[in-house]
Amino acid sequence: MRVLVQFRTSPEVHAATLRGEAMPSFAATTEAPIPGLVIDPAYNPVQVPTPRAAEPGASPYLYSPAVSFSLAPEEATYLVRGTLPDDPDGRRAALAETAARPEVVGVFADPAIATCLVCPGDPAVGSDRDVADLLGVAALADAGLDGYRVPVAVVDTGINLAHLAGKGRDPRFSARRSWAPAGVATRPGRHPVGHGTMCAYDVGIAAPKATLVDHAVLLSATPGETAMSGLLSDAVLAFSKLLGIVSGMPAGRRALVVNNSWGMFDPAWDFPVGHPGNYSDNPAHPFHVIVASLEAAGADILFAAGNCGRDCPDGRCRFASARPICGANSHPSVLSVAGVDIRKRRVGYSSQGPGRLDPAKPDLSAYTHFLGSGVYPADGGTSAACPVAAGVVAAVREKYPASVLSPAELRALLAKTAEDLGGTGFDHDFGWGVLDGRALVAALAGVKRSRRR
Amino acid sequence: MPRVMVTLRLDPARATLAEVLGLLGLAPDEVDPGFGVVPIDPAEHLYTILVDQAAAARIAGAPQVEGVFGNPRIEPLGPEEGEGPEERPGKG
Repeated sequence: MRVLVQFRTSPEVHAATLRGEAMPSFAATTEAPIPGLVIDPAYNPVQVPTPRAAEPGASPYLYSPAVSFSLAPEEATYLVRGTLPDDPDGRRAALAETAARPEVVGVFADPAIATCLVCPGDPAVGSDRDVADLLGVAALADAGLDGYRVPVAVVDTGINLAHLAGKGRDPRFSARRSWAPAGVATRPGRHPVGHGTMCAYDVGIAAPKATLVDHAVLLSATPGETAMSGLLSDAVLAFSKLLGIVSGMPAGRRALVVNNSWGMFDPAWDFPVGHPGNYSDNPAHPFHVIVASLEAAGADILFAAGNCGRDCPDGRCRFASARPICGANSHPSVLSVAGVDIRKRRVGYSSQGPGRLDPAKPDLSAYTHFLGSGVYPADGGTSAACPVAAGVVAAVREKYPASVLSPAELRALLAKTAEDLGGTGFDHDFGWGVLDGRALVAALAGVKRSRRR
Repeated sequence: MPRVMVTLRLDPARATLAEVLGLLGLAPDEVDPGFGVVPIDPAEHLYTILVDQAAAARIAGAPQVEGVFGNPRIEPLGPEEGEGPEERPGKG
Protein backbone atom coordinates (compact mmCIF):
# COMPACT_ATOMS: atom_id res chain seq x y z
CA MET A 1 0.00 0.00 0.00
CA ARG A 2 1.33 3.37 -0.99
CA VAL A 3 1.34 6.01 1.74
CA LEU A 4 2.42 9.55 2.43
CA VAL A 5 4.12 9.99 5.80
CA GLN A 6 4.17 13.43 7.37
CA PHE A 7 7.23 14.08 9.58
CA ARG A 8 7.95 16.85 11.98
CA THR A 9 10.80 19.19 11.23
CA SER A 10 14.47 18.38 11.41
CA PRO A 11 17.20 20.95 10.82
CA GLU A 12 18.89 18.85 8.15
CA VAL A 13 15.77 18.24 6.12
CA HIS A 14 14.64 21.83 6.46
CA ALA A 15 17.97 23.17 5.22
CA ALA A 16 18.09 20.69 2.36
CA THR A 17 14.54 21.54 1.29
CA LEU A 18 15.30 25.25 1.31
CA ARG A 19 18.27 24.56 -0.96
CA GLY A 20 16.04 22.53 -3.26
CA GLU A 21 18.05 19.42 -2.58
CA ALA A 22 16.89 15.91 -2.14
CA MET A 23 16.19 14.65 1.35
CA PRO A 24 19.63 14.15 3.00
CA SER A 25 18.80 10.76 4.36
CA PHE A 26 15.96 9.03 6.00
CA ALA A 27 18.00 8.79 9.18
CA ALA A 28 18.03 12.56 9.35
CA THR A 29 14.26 12.53 9.61
CA THR A 30 13.74 9.66 11.94
CA GLU A 31 15.98 8.20 14.54
CA ALA A 32 15.76 4.65 13.33
CA PRO A 33 14.14 2.82 10.42
CA ILE A 34 10.53 1.92 10.97
CA PRO A 35 9.93 -1.79 10.40
CA GLY A 36 7.68 -2.35 7.40
CA LEU A 37 7.83 1.20 6.09
CA VAL A 38 9.87 1.53 2.89
CA ILE A 39 10.65 5.12 1.97
CA ASP A 40 10.80 6.05 -1.74
CA PRO A 41 14.26 7.66 -2.17
CA ALA A 42 13.26 9.19 -5.51
CA TYR A 43 10.59 11.33 -3.89
CA ASN A 44 11.98 14.62 -2.58
CA PRO A 45 10.39 15.59 0.73
CA VAL A 46 7.76 18.26 0.36
CA GLN A 47 7.39 20.96 2.96
CA VAL A 48 3.79 21.34 4.12
CA PRO A 49 2.71 24.70 5.51
CA THR A 50 1.25 24.43 8.98
CA PRO A 51 -2.23 25.90 9.28
CA ARG A 52 -3.00 28.14 12.27
CA ALA A 53 -6.58 28.70 13.37
CA ALA A 54 -7.84 32.27 13.32
CA GLU A 55 -9.43 31.86 16.74
CA PRO A 56 -8.12 30.05 19.81
CA GLY A 57 -9.60 26.58 20.16
CA ALA A 58 -10.89 26.44 16.59
CA SER A 59 -9.85 23.69 14.22
CA PRO A 60 -7.42 24.97 11.60
CA TYR A 61 -8.57 22.22 9.25
CA LEU A 62 -12.00 23.74 8.72
CA TYR A 63 -10.22 26.48 6.73
CA SER A 64 -13.03 28.82 7.70
CA PRO A 65 -12.82 31.42 9.07
CA ALA A 66 -9.62 32.12 7.20
CA VAL A 67 -6.53 30.46 8.63
CA SER A 68 -2.91 31.53 8.35
CA PHE A 69 -0.03 29.25 7.43
CA SER A 70 3.47 28.94 8.85
CA LEU A 71 6.59 27.79 7.06
CA ALA A 72 8.84 28.41 10.07
CA PRO A 73 11.36 25.57 10.54
CA GLU A 74 10.19 24.80 14.02
CA GLU A 75 6.63 24.37 12.84
CA ALA A 76 7.07 22.99 9.36
CA THR A 77 6.35 19.41 8.46
CA TYR A 78 7.45 17.27 5.53
CA LEU A 79 5.83 14.64 3.41
CA VAL A 80 7.72 11.64 2.17
CA ARG A 81 6.39 8.81 0.06
CA GLY A 82 6.62 5.19 0.97
CA THR A 83 4.94 1.82 1.04
CA LEU A 84 3.52 -0.39 3.76
CA PRO A 85 3.21 -4.17 3.41
CA ASP A 86 0.23 -5.33 1.37
CA ASP A 87 -0.70 -8.16 3.74
CA PRO A 88 -3.24 -6.92 6.30
CA ASP A 89 -1.32 -8.05 9.39
CA GLY A 90 1.99 -6.62 8.23
CA ARG A 91 0.32 -3.40 7.16
CA ARG A 92 -1.45 -3.02 10.49
CA ALA A 93 1.79 -3.56 12.44
CA ALA A 94 3.84 -1.18 10.27
CA LEU A 95 1.12 1.45 10.43
CA ALA A 96 0.97 1.23 14.22
CA GLU A 97 4.75 1.41 14.49
CA THR A 98 4.94 4.43 12.15
CA ALA A 99 2.12 6.33 13.77
CA ALA A 100 3.60 5.76 17.23
CA ARG A 101 6.89 7.48 16.41
CA PRO A 102 7.04 10.97 17.96
CA GLU A 103 8.60 12.44 14.80
CA VAL A 104 5.62 11.31 12.69
CA VAL A 105 2.63 13.63 12.36
CA GLY A 106 0.49 11.18 10.41
CA VAL A 107 0.27 8.48 7.78
CA PHE A 108 -2.03 9.12 4.83
CA ALA A 109 -3.26 7.21 1.80
CA ASP A 110 -1.56 7.96 -1.49
CA PRO A 111 -4.22 6.76 -3.89
CA ALA A 112 -3.72 6.47 -7.62
CA ILE A 113 -5.17 9.46 -9.38
CA ALA A 114 -6.41 9.45 -12.96
CA THR A 115 -5.99 12.00 -15.67
CA CYS A 116 -8.79 14.51 -15.87
CA LEU A 117 -11.97 13.77 -17.73
CA VAL A 118 -12.48 15.42 -21.08
CA CYS A 119 -14.08 18.82 -20.62
CA PRO A 120 -15.59 21.46 -22.93
CA GLY A 121 -12.89 23.07 -25.02
CA ASP A 122 -10.41 20.21 -24.61
CA PRO A 123 -8.72 18.89 -27.76
CA ALA A 124 -10.30 16.03 -29.65
CA VAL A 125 -9.56 12.49 -28.47
CA GLY A 126 -9.16 10.21 -31.48
CA SER A 127 -11.10 10.44 -34.70
CA ASP A 128 -14.30 9.23 -36.30
CA ARG A 129 -12.31 6.23 -37.60
CA ASP A 130 -11.58 5.20 -34.03
CA VAL A 131 -15.27 5.61 -33.26
CA ALA A 132 -16.20 3.42 -36.23
CA ASP A 133 -13.78 0.72 -35.06
CA LEU A 134 -15.09 0.81 -31.51
CA LEU A 135 -18.72 0.79 -32.63
CA GLY A 136 -18.18 -2.27 -34.81
CA VAL A 137 -19.31 -0.50 -37.97
CA ALA A 138 -17.60 -3.15 -40.08
CA ALA A 139 -19.66 -5.86 -38.37
CA LEU A 140 -22.83 -3.87 -39.04
CA ALA A 141 -21.85 -3.42 -42.69
CA ASP A 142 -20.98 -7.11 -43.04
CA ALA A 143 -24.51 -7.85 -41.84
CA GLY A 144 -25.85 -5.55 -44.56
CA LEU A 145 -26.70 -2.79 -42.14
CA ASP A 146 -25.51 0.61 -43.32
CA GLY A 147 -28.77 2.53 -43.10
CA TYR A 148 -29.59 2.26 -46.81
CA ARG A 149 -32.58 4.53 -47.48
CA VAL A 150 -33.54 4.79 -43.83
CA PRO A 151 -34.65 8.38 -43.19
CA VAL A 152 -32.81 10.12 -40.36
CA ALA A 153 -34.25 13.46 -39.37
CA VAL A 154 -31.69 15.82 -37.91
CA VAL A 155 -33.68 18.27 -35.80
CA ASP A 156 -31.06 20.95 -35.37
CA THR A 157 -29.48 24.04 -36.95
CA GLY A 158 -29.70 22.71 -40.49
CA ILE A 159 -27.48 20.62 -42.74
CA ASN A 160 -24.91 21.73 -45.29
CA LEU A 161 -24.52 18.95 -47.85
CA ALA A 162 -21.60 20.63 -49.61
CA HIS A 163 -19.59 20.48 -46.40
CA LEU A 164 -20.40 16.80 -46.02
CA ALA A 165 -19.33 16.16 -49.62
CA GLY A 166 -16.07 17.98 -48.93
CA LYS A 167 -15.46 15.56 -46.08
CA GLY A 168 -16.02 12.55 -48.32
CA ARG A 169 -19.61 11.89 -47.35
CA ASP A 170 -22.31 11.33 -49.95
CA PRO A 171 -25.54 10.72 -48.06
CA ARG A 172 -28.93 10.51 -49.67
CA PHE A 173 -31.06 13.55 -48.90
CA SER A 174 -34.78 14.15 -48.87
CA ALA A 175 -35.62 17.77 -49.53
CA ARG A 176 -39.30 16.82 -49.77
CA ARG A 177 -39.37 15.61 -46.18
CA SER A 178 -37.22 18.45 -44.86
CA TRP A 179 -38.56 21.52 -43.15
CA ALA A 180 -37.52 24.81 -41.58
CA PRO A 181 -39.48 27.33 -39.52
CA ALA A 182 -40.93 30.36 -41.25
CA GLY A 183 -38.41 33.11 -41.86
CA VAL A 184 -35.37 30.88 -42.35
CA ALA A 185 -33.70 32.26 -45.45
CA THR A 186 -31.59 29.27 -46.44
CA ARG A 187 -32.87 26.05 -48.02
CA PRO A 188 -32.74 22.54 -46.60
CA GLY A 189 -29.36 20.97 -47.22
CA ARG A 190 -27.84 24.40 -47.83
CA HIS A 191 -27.95 25.91 -44.39
CA PRO A 192 -24.82 27.51 -42.89
CA VAL A 193 -22.24 25.00 -41.71
CA GLY A 194 -22.75 24.46 -38.01
CA HIS A 195 -24.00 22.17 -35.30
CA GLY A 196 -26.57 20.41 -37.48
CA THR A 197 -23.95 19.59 -40.10
CA MET A 198 -21.76 18.08 -37.40
CA CYS A 199 -24.68 15.88 -36.34
CA ALA A 200 -25.39 14.86 -39.94
CA TYR A 201 -21.74 13.86 -40.39
CA ASP A 202 -21.78 11.78 -37.23
CA VAL A 203 -24.94 9.91 -38.29
CA GLY A 204 -22.89 8.78 -41.28
CA ILE A 205 -20.29 7.01 -39.17
CA ALA A 206 -22.54 3.96 -38.80
CA ALA A 207 -25.17 4.76 -41.43
CA PRO A 208 -23.42 6.25 -44.47
CA LYS A 209 -26.29 5.25 -46.77
CA ALA A 210 -29.08 6.73 -44.64
CA THR A 211 -31.33 9.39 -46.12
CA LEU A 212 -30.89 12.64 -44.27
CA VAL A 213 -33.94 14.77 -43.52
CA ASP A 214 -33.19 18.34 -42.50
CA HIS A 215 -35.37 19.98 -39.83
CA ALA A 216 -33.64 23.27 -39.04
CA VAL A 217 -35.59 24.04 -35.90
CA LEU A 218 -32.70 25.84 -34.21
CA LEU A 219 -32.44 28.35 -37.05
CA SER A 220 -35.82 29.65 -35.99
CA ALA A 221 -36.34 33.33 -36.58
CA THR A 222 -38.14 33.48 -33.25
CA PRO A 223 -36.39 36.12 -31.15
CA GLY A 224 -33.87 34.53 -28.81
CA GLU A 225 -30.73 35.41 -26.94
CA THR A 226 -28.41 33.58 -29.30
CA ALA A 227 -28.27 32.99 -33.04
CA MET A 228 -28.48 29.22 -32.64
CA SER A 229 -31.60 28.70 -30.60
CA GLY A 230 -35.29 28.22 -31.01
CA LEU A 231 -38.38 27.74 -28.97
CA LEU A 232 -39.95 24.46 -28.04
CA SER A 233 -42.95 25.37 -30.18
CA ASP A 234 -40.64 25.16 -33.22
CA ALA A 235 -39.81 21.58 -32.22
CA VAL A 236 -43.54 20.83 -31.82
CA LEU A 237 -44.05 21.87 -35.43
CA ALA A 238 -41.12 19.74 -36.58
CA PHE A 239 -42.38 16.70 -34.73
CA SER A 240 -45.83 17.24 -36.20
CA LYS A 241 -44.30 17.09 -39.70
CA LEU A 242 -42.36 13.96 -38.72
CA LEU A 243 -45.52 12.38 -37.33
CA GLY A 244 -47.12 12.95 -40.71
CA ILE A 245 -44.12 11.35 -42.46
CA VAL A 246 -44.02 8.18 -40.39
CA SER A 247 -47.81 7.81 -40.32
CA GLY A 248 -47.79 7.96 -44.11
CA MET A 249 -45.41 5.00 -44.41
CA PRO A 250 -46.84 1.51 -44.98
CA ALA A 251 -47.35 -0.11 -41.58
CA GLY A 252 -44.95 -2.95 -42.38
CA ARG A 253 -42.11 -0.68 -43.50
CA ARG A 254 -42.03 2.11 -41.01
CA ALA A 255 -38.58 3.41 -40.20
CA LEU A 256 -37.74 6.95 -39.13
CA VAL A 257 -34.89 7.92 -36.85
CA VAL A 258 -35.09 11.34 -35.20
CA ASN A 259 -31.91 12.88 -33.81
CA ASN A 260 -32.24 15.62 -31.20
CA SER A 261 -28.97 17.09 -30.00
CA TRP A 262 -30.57 19.98 -28.18
CA GLY A 263 -32.14 20.81 -24.88
CA MET A 264 -32.83 23.46 -22.30
CA PHE A 265 -29.93 24.89 -20.30
CA ASP A 266 -31.74 27.21 -17.94
CA PRO A 267 -34.82 26.43 -15.84
CA ALA A 268 -35.58 30.15 -15.84
CA TRP A 269 -36.81 29.66 -19.41
CA ASP A 270 -39.51 27.33 -18.12
CA PHE A 271 -42.44 27.53 -15.74
CA PRO A 272 -41.33 26.38 -12.28
CA VAL A 273 -41.49 22.71 -11.36
CA GLY A 274 -44.97 22.07 -9.99
CA HIS A 275 -46.60 24.69 -12.19
CA PRO A 276 -49.16 23.01 -14.47
CA GLY A 277 -47.50 24.56 -17.52
CA ASN A 278 -44.02 23.32 -16.66
CA TYR A 279 -41.97 21.53 -19.36
CA SER A 280 -39.01 20.00 -17.52
CA ASP A 281 -40.92 17.63 -15.21
CA ASN A 282 -44.42 17.54 -16.60
CA PRO A 283 -45.39 14.59 -18.84
CA ALA A 284 -48.58 16.39 -19.89
CA HIS A 285 -46.66 19.10 -21.75
CA PRO A 286 -47.74 19.01 -25.42
CA PHE A 287 -44.20 18.36 -26.59
CA HIS A 288 -44.04 15.25 -24.43
CA VAL A 289 -47.39 14.16 -25.81
CA ILE A 290 -46.21 14.48 -29.40
CA VAL A 291 -42.94 12.69 -28.57
CA ALA A 292 -44.90 9.73 -27.23
CA SER A 293 -47.26 9.87 -30.19
CA LEU A 294 -44.38 9.88 -32.70
CA GLU A 295 -42.72 6.94 -30.98
CA ALA A 296 -46.00 5.02 -30.89
CA ALA A 297 -46.27 5.57 -34.63
CA GLY A 298 -42.93 3.78 -35.11
CA ALA A 299 -40.21 6.42 -34.97
CA ASP A 300 -36.97 5.97 -33.04
CA ILE A 301 -36.36 9.19 -31.15
CA LEU A 302 -32.95 9.94 -29.70
CA PHE A 303 -32.07 12.81 -27.41
CA ALA A 304 -28.68 13.89 -26.15
CA ALA A 305 -28.54 13.53 -22.38
CA GLY A 306 -27.12 17.03 -22.00
CA ASN A 307 -23.86 18.75 -21.17
CA CYS A 308 -24.40 19.59 -17.52
CA GLY A 309 -22.29 16.82 -15.96
CA ARG A 310 -21.00 17.50 -12.49
CA ASP A 311 -17.29 17.43 -13.35
CA CYS A 312 -17.19 20.21 -15.92
CA PRO A 313 -20.60 21.41 -17.04
CA ASP A 314 -21.10 23.57 -20.08
CA GLY A 315 -20.92 27.23 -19.11
CA ARG A 316 -24.56 27.72 -20.06
CA CYS A 317 -25.88 25.22 -17.49
CA ARG A 318 -28.03 26.80 -14.79
CA PHE A 319 -29.45 23.75 -13.05
CA ALA A 320 -27.28 24.04 -9.92
CA SER A 321 -27.99 20.89 -7.90
CA ALA A 322 -31.22 20.02 -9.76
CA ARG A 323 -31.34 17.01 -12.09
CA PRO A 324 -30.11 18.25 -15.48
CA ILE A 325 -31.61 15.50 -17.69
CA CYS A 326 -35.04 17.02 -18.01
CA GLY A 327 -37.87 17.52 -20.44
CA ALA A 328 -37.87 15.37 -23.56
CA ASN A 329 -34.23 14.48 -22.95
CA SER A 330 -35.59 12.38 -20.07
CA HIS A 331 -38.72 11.08 -21.82
CA PRO A 332 -39.45 7.37 -21.32
CA SER A 333 -40.16 6.97 -25.06
CA VAL A 334 -36.74 8.20 -26.23
CA LEU A 335 -33.20 6.89 -26.16
CA SER A 336 -31.27 9.31 -23.97
CA VAL A 337 -27.59 9.25 -24.93
CA ALA A 338 -24.65 10.08 -22.66
CA GLY A 339 -21.12 10.71 -23.93
CA VAL A 340 -17.87 8.79 -23.54
CA ASP A 341 -14.55 9.38 -25.26
CA ILE A 342 -12.78 6.69 -27.27
CA ARG A 343 -11.05 5.53 -24.08
CA LYS A 344 -14.55 4.64 -22.86
CA ARG A 345 -14.41 7.24 -20.14
CA ARG A 346 -17.36 9.48 -19.48
CA VAL A 347 -16.70 12.98 -20.74
CA GLY A 348 -16.88 15.27 -17.74
CA TYR A 349 -19.70 17.37 -19.13
CA SER A 350 -22.05 14.49 -19.92
CA SER A 351 -25.18 14.94 -17.80
CA GLN A 352 -25.86 12.32 -15.17
CA GLY A 353 -29.16 10.85 -14.14
CA PRO A 354 -31.64 10.30 -12.72
CA GLY A 355 -33.85 11.89 -15.33
CA ARG A 356 -36.83 14.04 -14.46
CA LEU A 357 -39.59 12.28 -16.44
CA ASP A 358 -37.98 8.85 -16.30
CA PRO A 359 -35.44 8.32 -13.51
CA ALA A 360 -33.65 5.55 -15.46
CA LYS A 361 -31.66 7.99 -17.61
CA PRO A 362 -29.38 8.15 -19.49
CA ASP A 363 -30.24 4.96 -21.36
CA LEU A 364 -26.77 4.34 -22.73
CA SER A 365 -23.59 6.00 -23.93
CA ALA A 366 -22.02 6.65 -27.30
CA TYR A 367 -18.70 8.13 -28.39
CA THR A 368 -18.03 11.84 -28.56
CA HIS A 369 -15.28 14.47 -28.51
CA PHE A 370 -13.43 13.14 -31.53
CA LEU A 371 -12.00 14.66 -34.69
CA GLY A 372 -14.71 14.23 -37.27
CA SER A 373 -16.83 16.66 -39.24
CA GLY A 374 -14.34 19.52 -39.20
CA VAL A 375 -17.09 21.89 -38.15
CA TYR A 376 -15.53 22.26 -34.70
CA PRO A 377 -12.09 21.34 -33.38
CA ALA A 378 -13.85 18.31 -31.88
CA ASP A 379 -17.24 16.78 -32.60
CA GLY A 380 -18.18 17.21 -28.98
CA GLY A 381 -20.94 17.36 -26.45
CA THR A 382 -23.56 14.73 -26.02
CA SER A 383 -24.61 16.45 -29.25
CA ALA A 384 -22.12 14.25 -31.10
CA ALA A 385 -22.80 11.12 -29.07
CA CYS A 386 -26.49 11.28 -30.00
CA PRO A 387 -26.07 11.11 -33.81
CA VAL A 388 -23.38 8.45 -33.44
CA ALA A 389 -26.07 6.37 -31.74
CA ALA A 390 -28.69 7.49 -34.27
CA GLY A 391 -26.49 6.10 -37.03
CA VAL A 392 -26.42 2.70 -35.34
CA VAL A 393 -30.20 2.76 -34.97
CA ALA A 394 -30.60 3.71 -38.63
CA ALA A 395 -28.29 0.89 -39.65
CA VAL A 396 -30.49 -1.59 -37.78
CA ARG A 397 -33.68 -0.16 -39.28
CA GLU A 398 -32.48 -0.99 -42.79
CA LYS A 399 -33.62 -4.59 -42.26
CA TYR A 400 -35.65 -4.39 -39.09
CA PRO A 401 -38.54 -1.92 -39.43
CA ALA A 402 -40.70 -0.93 -36.50
CA SER A 403 -43.23 -3.62 -37.37
CA VAL A 404 -40.55 -6.24 -36.68
CA LEU A 405 -38.80 -4.53 -33.80
CA SER A 406 -40.72 -1.74 -32.10
CA PRO A 407 -38.83 1.37 -30.96
CA ALA A 408 -39.12 0.18 -27.35
CA GLU A 409 -37.84 -3.29 -28.28
CA LEU A 410 -34.91 -1.80 -30.16
CA ARG A 411 -34.04 0.41 -27.20
CA ALA A 412 -34.09 -2.65 -24.98
CA LEU A 413 -31.86 -4.55 -27.41
CA LEU A 414 -29.38 -1.68 -27.59
CA ALA A 415 -29.24 -1.60 -23.79
CA LYS A 416 -28.91 -5.37 -23.50
CA THR A 417 -26.00 -5.50 -25.96
CA ALA A 418 -24.20 -2.39 -24.69
CA GLU A 419 -20.76 -2.88 -23.17
CA ASP A 420 -21.20 -2.30 -19.47
CA LEU A 421 -19.17 0.60 -18.09
CA GLY A 422 -18.99 2.03 -14.60
CA GLY A 423 -20.90 0.10 -11.97
CA THR A 424 -22.29 -3.33 -12.77
CA GLY A 425 -25.44 -2.99 -14.86
CA PHE A 426 -27.28 0.29 -15.15
CA ASP A 427 -25.84 3.43 -13.61
CA HIS A 428 -26.60 7.10 -13.94
CA ASP A 429 -23.27 7.99 -15.55
CA PHE A 430 -23.27 5.58 -18.51
CA GLY A 431 -26.77 4.10 -18.52
CA TRP A 432 -26.43 0.46 -19.59
CA GLY A 433 -23.00 1.11 -21.11
CA VAL A 434 -21.57 2.08 -24.47
CA LEU A 435 -23.10 0.99 -27.76
CA ASP A 436 -21.59 -2.20 -29.15
CA GLY A 437 -22.35 -2.88 -32.80
CA ARG A 438 -20.77 -6.34 -32.79
CA ALA A 439 -22.90 -7.58 -29.90
CA LEU A 440 -25.91 -5.94 -31.51
CA VAL A 441 -25.38 -7.80 -34.79
CA ALA A 442 -25.10 -11.08 -32.88
CA ALA A 443 -28.32 -10.39 -31.00
CA LEU A 444 -30.16 -9.38 -34.17
CA ALA A 445 -29.54 -12.85 -35.55
CA GLY A 446 -32.28 -14.01 -33.22
CA VAL A 447 -34.80 -11.46 -34.49
CA LYS A 448 -37.08 -12.30 -37.39
CA ARG A 449 -36.14 -10.12 -40.34
CA SER A 450 -38.50 -8.33 -42.67
CA ARG A 451 -38.53 -8.79 -46.43
CA ARG A 452 -37.85 -5.11 -46.99
CA ARG A 453 -35.29 -3.77 -49.50
CA MET B 1 -41.88 34.32 -21.50
CA PRO B 2 -43.17 34.38 -25.09
CA ARG B 3 -46.45 32.88 -26.18
CA VAL B 4 -47.55 29.70 -24.48
CA MET B 5 -48.92 26.43 -25.81
CA VAL B 6 -52.51 25.45 -25.11
CA THR B 7 -53.50 21.81 -25.51
CA LEU B 8 -56.98 21.27 -26.90
CA ARG B 9 -59.18 18.22 -27.37
CA LEU B 10 -61.05 18.80 -30.60
CA ASP B 11 -63.28 17.08 -33.08
CA PRO B 12 -60.81 16.56 -35.96
CA ALA B 13 -63.34 18.10 -38.33
CA ARG B 14 -63.12 21.33 -36.30
CA ALA B 15 -59.34 21.39 -35.90
CA THR B 16 -58.79 24.51 -37.94
CA LEU B 17 -57.65 27.90 -36.76
CA ALA B 18 -60.90 29.57 -37.81
CA GLU B 19 -62.94 27.01 -35.87
CA VAL B 20 -60.72 27.30 -32.80
CA LEU B 21 -60.93 31.10 -32.77
CA GLY B 22 -64.71 30.83 -32.79
CA LEU B 23 -64.89 28.03 -30.23
CA LEU B 24 -62.67 29.79 -27.71
CA GLY B 25 -63.53 33.41 -28.45
CA LEU B 26 -59.98 34.32 -29.38
CA ALA B 27 -59.01 37.32 -31.50
CA PRO B 28 -56.82 36.54 -34.54
CA ASP B 29 -53.95 38.61 -33.16
CA GLU B 30 -53.91 36.57 -29.93
CA VAL B 31 -52.94 33.41 -31.80
CA ASP B 32 -49.83 32.54 -33.83
CA PRO B 33 -51.24 31.84 -37.30
CA GLY B 34 -47.96 30.41 -38.54
CA PHE B 35 -48.08 27.77 -35.84
CA GLY B 36 -51.71 26.96 -36.52
CA VAL B 37 -53.48 24.01 -34.93
CA VAL B 38 -50.91 21.25 -34.53
CA PRO B 39 -51.94 17.63 -33.97
CA ILE B 40 -49.91 16.18 -31.10
CA ASP B 41 -51.81 12.92 -30.57
CA PRO B 42 -54.25 12.29 -33.40
CA ALA B 43 -55.59 9.10 -31.82
CA GLU B 44 -56.66 11.07 -28.76
CA HIS B 45 -57.79 14.09 -30.80
CA LEU B 46 -55.26 16.29 -29.02
CA TYR B 47 -53.97 19.48 -30.63
CA THR B 48 -51.96 22.48 -29.53
CA ILE B 49 -52.02 26.16 -30.43
CA LEU B 50 -49.69 29.04 -29.57
CA VAL B 51 -51.38 32.00 -27.89
CA ASP B 52 -50.63 35.10 -25.83
CA GLN B 53 -50.33 34.40 -22.12
CA ALA B 54 -53.21 36.71 -21.23
CA ALA B 55 -55.49 35.03 -23.74
CA ALA B 56 -54.41 31.60 -22.48
CA ALA B 57 -55.39 32.57 -18.96
CA ARG B 58 -58.78 33.70 -20.23
CA ILE B 59 -59.58 30.44 -22.05
CA ALA B 60 -58.00 28.06 -19.50
CA GLY B 61 -61.40 26.97 -18.17
CA ALA B 62 -62.96 26.20 -21.55
CA PRO B 63 -64.10 22.58 -21.97
CA GLN B 64 -61.81 22.04 -24.97
CA VAL B 65 -58.72 23.18 -23.08
CA GLU B 66 -56.60 20.40 -21.55
CA GLY B 67 -53.88 22.68 -20.23
CA VAL B 68 -51.65 25.72 -20.71
CA PHE B 69 -47.94 25.01 -21.07
CA GLY B 70 -44.60 26.78 -21.29
CA ASN B 71 -42.65 27.37 -24.48
CA PRO B 72 -39.05 27.50 -23.28
CA ARG B 73 -36.02 28.31 -25.36
CA ILE B 74 -33.92 25.40 -26.59
CA GLU B 75 -30.29 25.29 -27.73
CA PRO B 76 -27.83 22.86 -29.31
CA LEU B 77 -26.01 20.61 -26.84
CA GLY B 78 -22.73 20.94 -28.66
CA PRO B 79 -19.66 23.10 -28.34
CA GLU B 80 -20.39 26.54 -26.96
CA GLU B 81 -20.60 29.44 -29.38
CA GLY B 82 -17.18 30.71 -30.29
CA GLU B 83 -15.59 27.25 -30.35
CA GLY B 84 -16.51 26.70 -33.97
CA PRO B 85 -14.82 28.11 -37.04
CA GLU B 86 -17.93 28.89 -38.99
CA GLU B 87 -19.67 32.20 -39.42
CA ARG B 88 -22.83 32.27 -37.33
CA PRO B 89 -25.96 33.68 -38.92
CA GLY B 90 -27.85 36.46 -37.19
CA LYS B 91 -31.43 36.28 -36.06
CA GLY B 92 -34.07 37.22 -38.53
